[in-house]
Amino acid sequence: MTRKYELVYVVSPEATDEQVADLHNQVEAIAQRLNGQIEKTENWGRRKLAYEIGRHKEGTYVLEVINGGGDLMKEIDRRLKVSDLVIRHLVVRVDEEQGVVERTRARRTETSRRRRVARGLPADRQPGEGQRGEPDDDRDDRFDLGAEDMR
Amino acid sequence: MNGRRSFGSSSSGGGGGRGKPAAGAAGKDGQRRPMFRRRKVCKFCADKIDDINYKDTKLLMPFVPERAKILPRRISGTCALHQRKLRTALMRARQLALIPYTAE
Repeated sequence: MTRKYELVYVVSPEATDEQVADLHNQVEAIAQRLNGQIEKTENWGRRKLAYEIGRHKEGTYVLEVINGGGDLMKEIDRRLKVSDLVIRHLVVRVDEEQGVVERTRARRTETSRRRRVARGLPADRQPGEGQRGEPDDDRDDRFDLGAEDMR
Repeated sequence: MNGRRSFGSSSSGGGGGRGKPAAGAAGKDGQRRPMFRRRKVCKFCADKIDDINYKDTKLLMPFVPERAKILPRRISGTCALHQRKLRTALMRARQLALIPYTAE
């Protein structure tokens, strides 16, 4: 059973680039050992953390999209937990969610095309068609209070 | 406020303070409240954003005001489905320190 997972880990800012690369290689090695493969790797570089973790104020974020089974992710999760260099990590299963998103998107374009054809328009939106972007005035009611509070 | 209190005392029982104060107040003053509110629309429905992703901080940030709490539906106008998705996305982003748990 192969599923798609997203793994994000935050590496301590003291780690060198080689250590980050090494960590990636370790993950890849585990993936290969347990019949998975890495679909995509993204290094977001060094980012400021929203709050301090331990004594760190920033960290290097790495995202990996991995195809594999649950036991593979369990192993990776365990290894990252043990690792001192990784200060935070998150594993999320994404295949189901992605399927839902794709299906709704497909359904939406399909209905819009059908309606457009019914109205005698070309199926796809022409450039420069449709409403102009309105000036962004939807912020003023974000903190809209109830009428009682206003009095 | 005055209208509501007098209305509450005149009616017997009342049945919970949070009923419909507006009806009593409007009857007394003889006019409805002058301010009107624009109907709030779910941002994700309006902009047709299907995927509320925890990595997309730019999308999520408007839903965490200064105290870093999650903006409630009653204020943002987000629909139930999208609020639910938004919540999971925010909680994941918090775990990764992309978004704060609290403001210091």
